[in-house]
This record gives sequence, structure tokens and C-alpha cells, in this order.
Amino acid sequence: MTDATANAMQPPARAERGLDVYNNKLGMWVFLGSEVMFFTALIGAYIILRFGAPGEWAKPNVVLAVPLTGVNTFILICSSVSMVKAFAAIADGNRKMLSRWLLATIVLGATFVSVQGVEYWKLVHEGFTPAGYTDGSHVAELVAQGKLAAATGGLYGSTFFTMTGFHGFHVTCGVICLIYVWIKSLRGGYTQQDYRGVEVIGLYWHFVDLVWIILFTIVYLI
Amino acid sequence: MATTAQHQRPNYVLIWAYLFGLTILEVLFAFEMPISRNLKIVILLFLAAWKALLVALYFMHLKFESSRLRLMVLIPLPLAVILVLAAISEHVW
Amino acid sequence: MSAHHDDRSFIRKYIFSTDHKIIGIQFLFVSLFFLLVGGLLAMQIRWQLGFPGRPMPGGGILPATMAPGGVILPEYYIQLVTMHGTFMVFFAIMPLLVGVFANYLIPLKIGAHDMAFPTLNMASFWTALLAGLIMLAGFFVPDGAPRAGWTSYAPLSARPDLSGASYGQMLWCISLVCLGLSSILGSVNYITTVINLRAPGMTWFRLPLSVWALFITAILGLLALPVLSGAAIMLLFDQTIGTHFFDPAAGGQALLWQHLFWFFGHPEVYILILPAMGMVSDIVANGSRKPIFGYHSMVFAITGIAFLGWIVWGHHMFVSGMNPTLGSTFMVTTMIIAVPSAIKVFNWMGTMWRGNLRFHVPMLNAIGFVAMFTIGGLSGVFMAATPVDIHIHDTYFIVAHIHYVLFGGSLFALFGAITFWYPKMFGRLMNEFWGKVHFWLTMIFFNLTFFPMHILGMGGEMRRLYDPTQYDFLKPYQPLNTFISYSAFLLFASQVVFFVNFLWSLKHGKAAGNNPWEDNGLEWSLPSPPAHGNWETVPTVYRGPYEYSSPLVKEDYLPQYRKLDTDREPAMTPVSGH
Repeated sequence: MTDATANAMQPPARAERGLDVYNNKLGMWVFLGSEVMFFTALIGAYIILRFGAPGEWAKPNVVLAVPLTGVNTFILICSSVSMVKAFAAIADGNRKMLSRWLLATIVLGATFVSVQGVEYWKLVHEGFTPAGYTDGSHVAELVAQGKLAAATGGLYGSTFFTMTGFHGFHVTCGVICLIYVWIKSLRGGYTQQDYRGVEVIGLYWHFVDLVWIILFTIVYLI
Repeated sequence: MATTAQHQRPNYVLIWAYLFGLTILEVLFAFEMPISRNLKIVILLFLAAWKALLVALYFMHLKFESSRLRLMVLIPLPLAVILVLAAISEHVW
Repeated sequence: MSAHHDDRSFIRKYIFSTDHKIIGIQFLFVSLFFLLVGGLLAMQIRWQLGFPGRPMPGGGILPATMAPGGVILPEYYIQLVTMHGTFMVFFAIMPLLVGVFANYLIPLKIGAHDMAFPTLNMASFWTALLAGLIMLAGFFVPDGAPRAGWTSYAPLSARPDLSGASYGQMLWCISLVCLGLSSILGSVNYITTVINLRAPGMTWFRLPLSVWALFITAILGLLALPVLSGAAIMLLFDQTIGTHFFDPAAGGQALLWQHLFWFFGHPEVYILILPAMGMVSDIVANGSRKPIFGYHSMVFAITGIAFLGWIVWGHHMFVSGMNPTLGSTFMVTTMIIAVPSAIKVFNWMGTMWRGNLRFHVPMLNAIGFVAMFTIGGLSGVFMAATPVDIHIHDTYFIVAHIHYVLFGGSLFALFGAITFWYPKMFGRLMNEFWGKVHFWLTMIFFNLTFFPMHILGMGGEMRRLYDPTQYDFLKPYQPLNTFISYSAFLLFASQVVFFVNFLWSLKHGKAAGNNPWEDNGLEWSLPSPPAHGNWETVPTVYRGPYEYSSPLVKEDYLPQYRKLDTDREPAMTPVSGH
């Protein structure tokens, strides 16, 4: 479809000056716009429910393991840096470093998801579930001691697991796509002239990181 | 595009250091500082926005894109704010 | 990819095709099927309302859980209204407008070989089909189809013990998440294609209004559908894993669902009308043999509607007990949105004024659209005023309004658009005489069906009401209900004319030639139907799309692709370097 002579990293615009962005990248930006609205629905629901909650909302560090998640946040930020390093490497034509940084990103991303899995397991074990809390559990005791408002207990679990769960789902999708990009990079699929795949998956990856930055603050800190 | 990246490549490690430092600062403000809850929320949201902006501008290279693309990216944000503000106003009248 | 070289296998060519034209036609057949399903559901609703408690002819084939002995049960009736609304909005009108015509027209009208992401386009179609089948499956699961209305208001929809439908309600959520994904993939494709793949000379203000409308619609879909997906996922979690988002008994907020749903729902309303407006603009200019009146104001009106469409959703919630300040705000914005809509109506009339009118079938349907949309739009202004709305909320007045804009508006436009682009899709014209018969029958019975509903609504008949004769104050209106039902049956029967004409013309229609309507669009320079890849080399565009009756040429139309001696080649933008 694109002319053989055209630079793949340039837009195919013929009619007039467009956005100066080639198809895949423009498509990804447009898709990220819809992702913003998807997370608006989930995060917005959380903010609205918290505002209108019948009782006081639980302090985050009563139930959640903030230090563990703090480390996890650090891991995700590192993965964003390794991703952008991969991008910089191929922009310089360094295919070897591209593959290495991509692998680092995959490992860091997978670690993030795994830590989140451990966190979920621990929380559910303690009795904190999407439906609220289970009777006789650690969390139920906290409610009995008055450290956690009973009325908001259910909402807290609902919003927490839905938001972080869908973020984790996005990270998982990102890791799967990154594995594909990594394998392609090992086979020499990207060159200094054409590294569209790296740039496009990078945009997605940074966006997911950006969502986590917001989530970490409003779920774990406020 | 390739040339842009070479000419104007930000110092990624510096951005990383910023993000790391801001995260530490956030945790400190959230749990260690004896300040009012409302002030805390404002500060935390400000720090989160700062971090998000760093990621968008430098890692996603928005700083080096055309202003038209930057405008396009901004379109969903007011919609998100409108939805949340309208629904919140249900609880303050 | 060139136009003449095509050695794909049958499956790649007609089933798992990545060609935008085939995908558009696939959408056409699938959504016409769902239109028929929605129509059949409506007929059952009308039977119950016109003849409450009487056995429905042919209803004996339904199981005893739906209609024992052909008499519709209340549980089945609420499933009927829910599924009629859901199918018509999400699986008939929306895919007919966007799935069919955005796919089919955008590349052809802007001079591109195909969409920017053909594989994604194919995925979009199959996801939509999957969504439709999941929704249809609702009728066959235990407890039957969803029962909370097409808006699925919580907590009725969130708690199976309240609605009585468990699996059906879950399938509703799953289906709409799939449909959301499909629409987002489609929108990404349409937006990228329009921005990046326009032919040389096809500047923004030479785009046909249909492309403008579809482009803006794609932006609305891109930003609105994910909100519905998010809300549907939360509703699904409420039903399955016991979260409490929408359950007030556990601290959740029922109003949150309404806010999320209508924040999606109102842009959705414009998704359902903007493409119709765009295509009607093309057809009206063609049928009037005059340039469209106020091209730029049409573009700005589309953009204005799209922008205002985001800040009016609260007018669906005036009686929900919402913040009154918020209610007044929404009332004002809703009234403002009538302005760009009125601009469009005046521009269509201005186009037709003193035109050399050709009353071909698409033109008749387009004029029908303008008239019916005006009536529907005017009743919309009634509802925008909060005090009036409180009286007519959830009555048949609303039902009349929605059908005037969705049937009278969108569907008339679609009959016009399908007839107009049918020759390009299949190489043959639909029969002119039977097209006119269909138009007039539909026009008459449409008005006989839906206009009296305004009266019922003012009289207080509630929508989704199972049996109007239960209420003494509605008993005097029962003859009107029966009259509406007879009209509705005849309206449905009139559609047989369209379907038979559609299918018969596939084989026996008059051969169309390249440009049967003497239109200016790029697509008419191609053979009908165009080959895979559309053009060998993309055409060059020399002018806007509405140069009818131009003094420069002796014909009364001047296509966008035709080069006159006075035309200069468009400046090829140098691909900008840094």
C-alpha cells in the first residue's frame, strides 16, 4: 500500500499536511484516547462512589500493603525507562541493545504482574475480596475494631479489585505484545529505518505506566 | 522522526530519577507529614500529575511531536473531568 | 496492491476478507438480519398492546415460559421491549450507519486503496457479529433474555433476584463489551484513514459531508463506547462476583449507572444520526442538482453537535432526583444543541430551494428524513425543558420522539443511502417503481404508527407498559392503541417490499454502469462494483464534492476527479523532514 520508495516512518499524507504521524503510530494514539475513556469509567466510578459513600472511607494502609506496592511502582517505572532505552537503541541502529532492553522490559513487566498477583492472593487470604470481606477474617476484625467503616467495606473491595485488576490486565497484554516484538527484534525485524513496532508498543507501555502512576496515588496513598 | 530522536533526546536516566524521587516524596506526604487531609490530597494529586506529565512528555515523546498531535491527545481529558465533576455534584447539593 | 491483480481464495475474498467493501457488505447483510429480528420483536409488542390478553397468531410456537397458548406473558413482554431496543440501537441502526457506510464509503470517497488497518477492520466485523450472536443467545438461556430495558438501569439489572433474569442479563453485558471493542477498533481505523490516506487534492474542506459526518461519528464512538464497556464490566461484576457498584443496599449508587450509561448514551444518539445527516446531505445535493447550501456551516454544525453531545446527557435523568443545578445546566445545553441541528435542516431546504429536483428513490427518502427528523427534533425540544419532561418522562411521548428520529430519521436515511450506493456495491440498480411504492407505504404507515403515540404519551400511557387496559384512565385510549397496532403491522408488511426488492435486484436489477446517479464523488469513477484495491493509482481531486450545475461544463455535474483545462495539479505536500 505504501509506495516502496516512501520512508515507512513518515506519514503517507498526500492531500495536505496531516499530523506528520505514520498510520500505526496515529492509530495507537487514537486507541489510547479510547483507553483514557475506559479508565475514566473505572476510576471515575471509584471517585464518585468514594465521594458519595455512606461512611468514612478506609485509610489505604490499613488493608493494603503500601510498601510492597511502592516497590512494585518502582519496578513499573524502571520498565518504562528500559522501554524507552530500547527505543533509543534502535533509533541509533543498535539492534543488539534493542533486544536486551526489550527483554529487560518484559522481565520487569512480568515481575510487576507477579507481585500484583501475590498481593491479590494475600488480600483475599486475609479476607478482603471484591464482594467486601469474608466473615471471621482479619479484615472483618478490623471492621469490628472500628478501623474500617463497615458500610464502605464492600465498595472498597469492588473498586480496588476492578481498577487494579484491569490495569494488571493491560500490563499482561503489554507483556504479551512485547514478547512478540522481542522475538521479532531477535530475528532482525527492526532497523534504524523502520522501527515502527517498537515505537508503537512503547507508547502503549508508557500509557499503562502513566495509568498506574495515577492509580497508585489515588488508591494507595489518598 | 529518527533525526528528531537523535537531536533532541532527553536524558532518560534523569527522568527516571525524577520519577523515583517524586514517588518517595508522595509516600512521605501520604503517611509521614502532619498536614491537613485536604492539603495532602491536593499535594498528592499535584505530584501524580507531575509524574504523569513527565512520562507523557519525555517517554511518549509528546514534547517533540507537533502541536496538532498534542492537541488531539488532550481531547478526552475535559470529557473525563466533566463526567466526574457532574456525577460528584450529586453529593454536594 | 493494484486493482486488477486478485488471486485470493474464495474464503479470503468473501468471508475472512480484509477488503473494506466486502466488510461493509458483510455488515449490511448481518445488520439487515438484526433489523428484521428487531422488527419481529416490535410486532409482538404491538400485538400485546393492541389486543392485550388475546392469543397471538402464530404465537403457539413459543414455549410456555414465554407465551402459553400464544398469550404473551408479562415476563416475556419485558424481554421483548428490552431486546427490541437493544437490537435496533446496537445491532441494526449503529452497524447499518457506521459498520456499513463508514467501511464502504470512507476509502472510496477519499481516494484510498483500503482502510489504514485492513486486518483490524476484519476483526471489527467478526467481533460485532459475535456480539450480536451473544445477545441473540439471551433468548435461549434459562430465565430468558434480559429484562431491565435497553438502558439496563441498576439495581434492577444488577441483581438477578430483582429482575428474574440471570444469564440473559450477563450476556447483555458481555455482548456490549464485545460490541464496544468492535466499535473502538472500527473507529481507530476510520479516524486514521481519514487523517492519513486522503488522495492528492482531497483537502479537509473538499471532503464530502458524508465523510465528515462519519469521521466525527468515529471520534464519538471512540470516546463513548469505552465508557459503556467500563460500565457494562462493572455491572457484570455486580451480577457475578458480588461487587456493589450499583447496589444502594451495600453503599453503591444506582445513579452512577445512569450517569455512566447516558454519558455514553447521548453521544451514541448522535452516532445514530450524524452519519445519516451526512449521507442525506450527499443525496439531497445530488437530487437537487445544486451545490449543498452552506457547506462550511454544515461541517461546523456537525462538529458543534458532536461537541455539545457530550454535555447534555443529564436530560435523560431529569426525574432521577439529580442535583437541580445540574438539571438546569443540562436543560440549557440541550436547548442549545437544537441550534446546529436546525442549521442543518435549513441548509437542506436551502439546497432544495429552486433546485432542478430529481425525485429518485434516494432523494424521496432523503426528503422523508428531513421532514421526519424535523418533527422528531421539535418534540425533542419539548423534552429538553425540565418541567415539561417531568410530565412526559417515560411515556409514549418519548417512544414517539425516539422513533421519529431513529426510524423517521436514521432509517429513512438508510433506505435512501442503501438505494443510492446499492449500484456501486452490487453493480445493479434497485427497482425504481417498487422503491417508490416502498417509500410511500413506509411514509404513510410510519406516521400512522408513531404520530398517535404523542397523544397516548400526553394522556399518560407509560412506556414498557404490559397491558394499558389495567388502568381506567388509559381505557379510553385503547382504540388508539389498536389503531397503532394495525398501522404497525402494515408498516412491517411494507418492509417486505424493500427486502424483496433488495434481494431480487441482486440478480435481476438493471445494470448500473459507473455513475447511474450522475454524482460527483470519487467512487463513481470506478466500475460497479469496484475491484479489490479500488484504484490502480489513486485519483487526483480538483474540487469540492458538490459542483452541480456548474457553468464550466455542459453537463449539470462536475466530478471531483475531472480535470478541466483551468485546473492546476494540487501541490504535493513535501513529506516534512526535520
